[in-house]
Amino acid sequence: MNYQKLDASLVLALNEVLEPDLVSLVVFVYTEQPLSNVAAAVLRNLGVGGVSSEKDVFTATLSLAQIAHLSDQPWVKLIKRSQHLRFLNLGSDIHHY
Amino acid sequence: MIYEKLSPGLLLAWDDFQREGELALITHRRSLGILPPKSVIKPTKSVVFIYCEPDTNLSHLSQYGIEINQSFGGIRTAFLPLDRLEILAEETAIQRIKPSRKLKIKMDVAPQVMKLPSFVNRTGLTGKGVVIGIIDTGIDAKHPAFAGRILRIWDQTLPGPGVNEGLYGAEFTGEQLCISQDMEGHGTHVAGIAAGADAVYSGVAPEAELVIIKSDLQDAHIADAIRYVFRVAGELGRPAVVNLSVGGHADAHDGSDSLSQIINAESGVGKIVCCAAGNEGNDNIHGQANIPSGRSRGMRFNVPLNQMGMVWLNAWYQNSGQLEVSVRSPNDFVTPYQKIMTSGNPSQSYDLPDSQVELVTPDRDPSNGDYHFFVQIRGRGRSLVQGGIWQLRVRNTSTSDTRLDVWTLDDTLSVYFTGKSVKDAVKIGSPACASSAVTVAAYTTKVKYEDIDRQVREMGLELNTISEFSSEGPLRNNAQKPDIAAPGAMIVSALSSNFNSDRSMTINSQFVAMSGTSMAAPFVTGLIALLLQRDPNLDPTTVKELLRQNSSIPGKPTGTFDHKWGFGLINTDKL
Repeated sequence: MNYQKLDASLVLALNEVLEPDLVSLVVFVYTEQPLSNVAAAVLRNLGVGGVSSEKDVFTATLSLAQIAHLSDQPWVKLIKRSQHLRFLNLGSDIHHY
Repeated sequence: MIYEKLSPGLLLAWDDFQREGELALITHRRSLGILPPKSVIKPTKSVVFIYCEPDTNLSHLSQYGIEINQSFGGIRTAFLPLDRLEILAEETAIQRIKPSRKLKIKMDVAPQVMKLPSFVNRTGLTGKGVVIGIIDTGIDAKHPAFAGRILRIWDQTLPGPGVNEGLYGAEFTGEQLCISQDMEGHGTHVAGIAAGADAVYSGVAPEAELVIIKSDLQDAHIADAIRYVFRVAGELGRPAVVNLSVGGHADAHDGSDSLSQIINAESGVGKIVCCAAGNEGNDNIHGQANIPSGRSRGMRFNVPLNQMGMVWLNAWYQNSGQLEVSVRSPNDFVTPYQKIMTSGNPSQSYDLPDSQVELVTPDRDPSNGDYHFFVQIRGRGRSLVQGGIWQLRVRNTSTSDTRLDVWTLDDTLSVYFTGKSVKDAVKIGSPACASSAVTVAAYTTKVKYEDIDRQVREMGLELNTISEFSSEGPLRNNAQKPDIAAPGAMIVSALSSNFNSDRSMTINSQFVAMSGTSMAAPFVTGLIALLLQRDPNLDPTTVKELLRQNSSIPGKPTGTFDHKWGFGLINTDKL
């Protein structure tokens, strides 16, 4: 695991994960551009939609093991945890981080 | 009596009065400006409009108890005993007499405040040919306000193969639209404000077409949804505007977060995103401290008793500084100071006698080059987080003075800063902090309404000013946000039939009242749809400039910026 490629809230979330193969963490994956065919294939295998060489940030739902593997890839620059937002009507107080 | 001068309604009232006296006027009171007598001695009076040549002198009529309120003008108002109506009609200079009408307080005051009805009448714009994307709780596809105009629903919360932008959820069209349901009502309400078609509670762009995403509120999935809307609209050859009435505070508050960056990348010509500013105007969720070089500072925050399972702090500062971080519990237990950790796992866990604290202090964030740290606090074992005053302690080991911004994050927005570190600013988070997004604050146009049980409901807000709950800018990098303000208090709009709304919010079987910057944003989304109908080549820069030029803060010159108002309340009069 290359922790220097992970943002702080993802590090925290990973510390809580009990099952390394449970696919449950929604993340943004930042890649080098242009994306190589090999890199694109890896992302598609991970279930990432809309993979194209023109983009440099993708969304994915991954396991701890998959994140660890991706973080060690030279073409991956950064992995950030997706944040849970809330609706902005008054009285909408319940949300989760 | 010269009957030809009286409007039909006034003539009816006169005839009834002649035949049956005062009692006959009861049914005419509301619609004909009839004022009941204050005593049995004083007669029933009537308020009327009179039409005459502008320079006619009518002062001689006062001797008959007829009070003309204006001495000049082609249409004047008058106040007179009803039995003097004949004298008024006999006056040769008077051409026509019409009754005043007692008006009802209408629920739809918000559009008038923006001068929207006259803008629509002048331009004929309806949003036709424009796609409005609503990324929200879904929509009631059966609601008559949207009949025939919902193009697609991508329900991200249902199992399914998804769409190109995200291989999850299910996409529906046509007859299948009703499979996806809005159980929370928020999305239907927002869509109604932007694009509902109704005689009383009309949306801003009642002929725009809708692409709906029912979101699970993960910002990564919201990013997918934005890409989806623009792709669908592009395939149809239409411009699009996306509404985001969602937000959070786990980001850097400078627009460098992932969702904001994707909004910037995906927006462009004919592709606009509109965001709600946030509702933390009354909440001390933001603390700020200036830490001189070589010195320490503490920032106090309050955790309520017996309530919190987990508390987080999200902190950011510029890379010219270097801070070490510690936490003190209400019982005065402290963690050691933790440095920035540039290798290995940058998190450490500390077991205090009354709590468990985890500190994450990584190297600079590549998105903006700044330092960021995260604090997580839990109770011991299964206990809740210790209630009371906690303290975040920071020590500046750099040679530069450093400004630190911190936001509390918790499930119920119950944790707040206290003391000197409270800073009532920089409370606009992602996605509203995206530089290319139009960020909308809330303005109060109504402070009470009648619910379905005819109970009057009030909010305790000040009328005709910026709503106090609306979050303040600027951004952490001093960028100007919000952009403009629009009505956001007690807004009546479409009610989802799958939402169990409280009767105190319900107006009738199809409409409900809600408040928040969630409601302000879709006003502007709908307005942007009208502007895109007129010119599909508008981009975010030109849209924001147009809106800013047509907004103002009362009492201030156009172009004045304020952290709460942005550039002020939008006025479509000259748009």
